[in-house]
Amino acid sequence: MASVTMTGVRKTFGSTVALERLDLEIESGELVCLLGPSGCGKTTALRVLAGFERPDAGQVHVGGSDITLVPTERRGFGMVFQEYSLFPNMTARANIEFGLKVQKVAPAERRSTLERLLTVTALTEHADKFPHQLSGGQKQRVALARALATQPRLLLLDEPLSALDAKVRESLRDEIRRVQREFGVTTVFVTHDQHEALAVADRVGVMSNGLLEQLDPPRILYTAPRTPFVTGFVGSVNRVGATAAGDGRYTVLGRTLPGIVAASSTGGGKAAVRPEQIALDRDPAGQARVLDASFLGPITRVRLRDEREGDVIADLMSADAADLVVDAVVRLRLRDDVESVVIL
Amino acid sequence: MKRGDVLRWVLIVTVTLYFAVPMLAMARFAFQVVPVALLTPDRIFEGWSVSGLVDALGEPAFHEAAKTSLLLAVFAGILNLSLLLPLAIAIELRAQHLKGLLTTITLLPWVIPPIALVVGVAATFRSIAPWFLASPYSLVPFYALWAMPFTYRALDAGLRSINAKTLYEAGRSLGASSRTILWRVLMPNLGASLIAASVLTGALVLGEYAFASLLLKNTLPTYLEVYQGGEPRAGMALALAVMLLTALMLWIVVRIMRRRGLDVSAAAGAV
Repeated sequence: MASVTMTGVRKTFGSTVALERLDLEIESGELVCLLGPSGCGKTTALRVLAGFERPDAGQVHVGGSDITLVPTERRGFGMVFQEYSLFPNMTARANIEFGLKVQKVAPAERRSTLERLLTVTALTEHADKFPHQLSGGQKQRVALARALATQPRLLLLDEPLSALDAKVRESLRDEIRRVQREFGVTTVFVTHDQHEALAVADRVGVMSNGLLEQLDPPRILYTAPRTPFVTGFVGSVNRVGATAAGDGRYTVLGRTLPGIVAASSTGGGKAAVRPEQIALDRDPAGQARVLDASFLGPITRVRLRDEREGDVIADLMSADAADLVVDAVVRLRLRDDVESVVIL
Repeated sequence: MKRGDVLRWVLIVTVTLYFAVPMLAMARFAFQVVPVALLTPDRIFEGWSVSGLVDALGEPAFHEAAKTSLLLAVFAGILNLSLLLPLAIAIELRAQHLKGLLTTITLLPWVIPPIALVVGVAATFRSIAPWFLASPYSLVPFYALWAMPFTYRALDAGLRSINAKTLYEAGRSLGASSRTILWRVLMPNLGASLIAASVLTGALVLGEYAFASLLLKNTLPTYLEVYQGGEPRAGMALALAVMLLTALMLWIVVRIMRRRGLDVSAAAGAV
């Protein structure tokens, strides 16, 4: 297991800047998700780590040694790709053993590693099947086992779940997390799906336009986004008016409370308020009108139009929203348990 | 039946007749020794014989020409693959942006007429290496060039269908050298494409007339042409036999590629 440091990594393709200047530190045994829209540079960052792309500038250190110029095959990393990358001419077993054979691992050791991986990934009964006989989820489990077989110092996952359907995606996501913990392997997981990233990662790095916007544990990323981009990209957010009340406090939706000023705040007098931080008071003198309400099981998502704040989304416990009808007049307020707001 | 169905059947029948009638006429001429003028409905089953074909197959000159053509097919196939396989793999793995250029270049042999190629190349070799043009195997480079569009497309379709680039990267991430990946991963999965490319080259060489005739070489097609002048029936029978053999080869290719789940229309699309 090893820690990973990327310092000042820059990569361009022709006139396109894929990575502006990436500084990233990953601790040993940690699972870090790189999250961002397509074209944000997350895949390039992973390919630089894997050694498939050589950075124009900057260094990559793994376990303390500079590997910037070390070719892929001598890095000793495992990788799982978005497209199924199993060797079609080999059975699941042979695929998993491939890396061990290349490294000339003794047959007895090879077999015990294989058995352990087959058990961990619940593939024992599929070991002698060829890739075209396996389902998408099974193929990615074989790919995961194959990547772990050589005991990599670093595991790289390039959108490993994107080709799968929703149900398989969720169960495999949890399985990846379980296996990653069991092996304790430092892991970089690239995805464009925020739910995936928030659910699986120790820390999530949000990327945009070749820059790392914020790298934090999911909870902090969600409650204290540092840039407008992160605020908008992770979860839904309402932008409502905020007036400074002095002493680092702001008045938002009628309540005055401490404000966390985002690192790149433009001082535009807006606060980011999550839909679940809003409560509705039934008040005939209120300024907001219900546009519609969607029942989503435990919660109900209500869209409102407020005379001052514009369109606002509020997520209420479904029990609290049972009486809300279209055109009902209400007043918006912050829930009592909200202790601070992010000032954009 | 809907109107679309009617139209479809009319098309199928028309096309079938367009191909089948001349071939049936050829077959009748080749195997029925009854002049058309004397052919009445009650004599339709009279005088059928394969003796013409048997005679034609027994000619030593035919064996010679057939052997030349088969060897040409093998050599052209080997030359073609040894040039295009490394190139196609390198482009797919390392320089995908050059793919468009390569696709255009590999189509050139079909844009340049054989006569232009032969005149140009023959003039060059006649002055620098006249011995080269004396051998029938001087046709090998011409045929390799001529078959390039087929070969390249079969290889390219194969590489794309196995997702060669990802397999290569997966192999490297597992510590394998490029050579190991080439022999243990890429080649075994390209088997169907290699067979398709070779058989297509073979089929092309067995039917190529222009180059051989222009360079005065005795190959199967040029032999057929000469032989038919003296023995019209037997010549026709032989031509039919060669045609059937070629069709059989192509059918086998399609079968192999289907079984390997390859996109036949893409791989053999150039046919």
